[in-house]
Amino acid sequence: MNKSITVIIAAALMSLALAGPGLAGDNTNHGGDIVYTKPVKSVLFSHKVHVEQKGLTCDMCHARSFEMEALKAQENPDFTMESLYQGNYCGACHNGTMAFASNTRCASCHTGVKGSTVAQGH
Amino acid sequence: MANGINTTSISLNAIESMVVGRLKSGSKGFYALLLLSGLLVAVAAGVGIHAMVKGHEAFYNVTREMPWGILISAYVFFVVTSTGLCLVSSIGHVFGVQDFMPIAKRSVFLSIATILSGFFVIAFEIKIPWRMAIYNVISPNITSNIWWMGTLYGIYLMFMFAEFVFLNLDKHKPAVFCGFSGSVAGIAAHSNLGAVFGLLMGREFWHGPYMPIYFITSAMMTGCAVIILFHYLAYKVNGEQMDGKMRRALEVTNKIGILLICVIMFFTTWKMVSGIAGQPAGKYEAIMALVSGQFAPNFWIFEVGMGMVFPLAMFYLSKGKNLTMMFLGSLSMIIGIFVMRFDLVMVGQAVPVFHELGVNEYKHIMSYTPSLYEGLITIGGVGMTIFMFLLGEKLFAGHKVEEHAEHH
Amino acid sequence: MFDKIKLDNLKNEGVENVPMKERREFLKMGFALTGIFAGGTIFSAVSSIDRVFASSEEFASKYPYKPHYSMVIHQDRCIDCERCVEACAATNHVPHEGYRTRILQRDVPDAVGQKREFIPVLCNQCNLPQCTRVCPTKATYKDPQNGIVMMDIAKCIGCLTCQEGCPYNARYFNEEKHAVDKCNFCFDTRLSKGEKLTGCAAACPAQCRVFGDLSDQSSEVYRKVHQIEKAVWVLRPEAGTRPNVFYTKG
Repeated sequence: MNKSITVIIAAALMSLALAGPGLAGDNTNHGGDIVYTKPVKSVLFSHKVHVEQKGLTCDMCHARSFEMEALKAQENPDFTMESLYQGNYCGACHNGTMAFASNTRCASCHTGVKGSTVAQGH
Repeated sequence: MANGINTTSISLNAIESMVVGRLKSGSKGFYALLLLSGLLVAVAAGVGIHAMVKGHEAFYNVTREMPWGILISAYVFFVVTSTGLCLVSSIGHVFGVQDFMPIAKRSVFLSIATILSGFFVIAFEIKIPWRMAIYNVISPNITSNIWWMGTLYGIYLMFMFAEFVFLNLDKHKPAVFCGFSGSVAGIAAHSNLGAVFGLLMGREFWHGPYMPIYFITSAMMTGCAVIILFHYLAYKVNGEQMDGKMRRALEVTNKIGILLICVIMFFTTWKMVSGIAGQPAGKYEAIMALVSGQFAPNFWIFEVGMGMVFPLAMFYLSKGKNLTMMFLGSLSMIIGIFVMRFDLVMVGQAVPVFHELGVNEYKHIMSYTPSLYEGLITIGGVGMTIFMFLLGEKLFAGHKVEEHAEHH
Repeated sequence: MFDKIKLDNLKNEGVENVPMKERREFLKMGFALTGIFAGGTIFSAVSSIDRVFASSEEFASKYPYKPHYSMVIHQDRCIDCERCVEACAATNHVPHEGYRTRILQRDVPDAVGQKREFIPVLCNQCNLPQCTRVCPTKATYKDPQNGIVMMDIAKCIGCLTCQEGCPYNARYFNEEKHAVDKCNFCFDTRLSKGEKLTGCAAACPAQCRVFGDLSDQSSEVYRKVHQIEKAVWVLRPEAGTRPNVFYTKG
């Protein structure tokens, strides 16, 4: 009995140590879901998918492509698909080699007007 | 009647005093019922006109996806009943089967009353009915079943009206001609109503030759039930005893009723089986909505139980002689048949046209519940039939039938 | 599917046509095999066009209308921004309760890769429309010139049978007009005023909706429909209405 409790505590401590970088930030959901509504409605960016599932670190995107402040990018006039194809913003990774290219799988990121209302509903 | 309308030399005063005399002959209960049914019609007309003026959208529960509501099914119910009354009663006075003679006048009168009730309810379902009166005539579309149905029912009503007049004037030959023509127009009109549903290729539950055939058969089944029901009630209203001939007429109507319930059971069985075997797209979902889905209580309790099994048992056990059993059977059958019409209209629409596409918007079978206004107008339609039935009993002195035998 | 192809060819074409007929048969079989997964049903892409317009060699001269307006929808380009829906409503005064065009969403959670797609729908301007057949007063009719399914609102009695007949849910009752309303490819609001595109096609940021004249062999819609490299299909072909709105991907 005592043995198993020790194992559980050890496992909990280990997982805490592994999750350290995440916990070190100011929030545990790595920034949450971002819903862009410009220039078109709407694109859903999930921090969960990119950080937890794909294993990206913060500075991979927030060093160059995106500022830390959410939705800042959509104020820029060059926040367009054309710009993405040239390697800016999401296009830095979504270029067909690191991740699926920006000109494919449109509705994977574009959740549309329906997606924006669903996101607001949650 | 012999000294009544059929004497052409009669003065207006005499007619007036006769009509007033007959109308005054009712009991207190009669007038209460007459007033109540008249009130139902007035309320229906009031809310119907209100909805028409203010726009149907705010008052009816029909939607873009299910544009036809209870008023369409009530219309179908009333014209089914009218056609059935016409067809069953024509067995006697048109095709000369003597046993059916005594029910002729009342049945023809009721067929007029029910089709007028049908027109009454559909006038409030159609959004701009006055345009129909104009453009059905000056811009007819001969590929449209709705057009044929409307036109043929107009002709049908004309013949039934003429037939009723001739029956009361004791002019047998023109009555037979009108009765025959009315039956032909009625069958044509009613099968076209079936085709309104049956020829829609995008609606799998309705599509096919089944609908027109089923409509005619179920009309005759309904006709038998309504004849038994209203003849039973008429003799209660008039406080009279049926004579042997009338009893015999209801006995044979009861027999035909049994036959037609069996035919409809047979039809329904194969409609269900053909919709389940092989799971045909669109049809299967609709049939399953009836068998085990949201329409299952309607189907099993009302359609099968009250519409078929119970009346079949009652009709069979009554041997055509026990009038109370026949009355209960026919009353239950008419309620069941009303729900059959409701389900027929609703289930056909309940499977969304884009259901097979697998989109989120149309994943589920849709449902419809009548609004207050729609309910009131439907009840008003029933009220109209009752009102006209009651009035007719007094005005035409119980629809007594003269001996026509000598004409044959 | 193959049974249907055989039935389509039951008409005796004469002995001299046999090699051509066999060639077509063979081609159709190929088309049938390249049919793609769309909405849970395998539809042969080009064979559906064959059913609409007879064989591909002959039909160009046989298009019943001039211009024969048509729309090809690149389903995979739709991102549900709904600019088309907004443009349509603004152009054609579509009230809030109704719509002439709409974007449907299909989620396939267990799909590999992309798990969501959007499907724009509108009136298919069918060659054999159910709506015009069932209308009792010819309030809706096929324009004899351009094949657009039009509304003559003064004649509409509001029986809504056309809504029942339409396999595409393209019609609704417009309380302001006191008549059924539907897409007419912006004929009154744009095409008749010299515009080349419908409001929705012009507003689309992703070139999802390609609009044009199918009877013109140099048009984009013609080239997109009359090729065999990419699958082209129609919605609800089993309803038999021979639609003029086609769908494709890529």
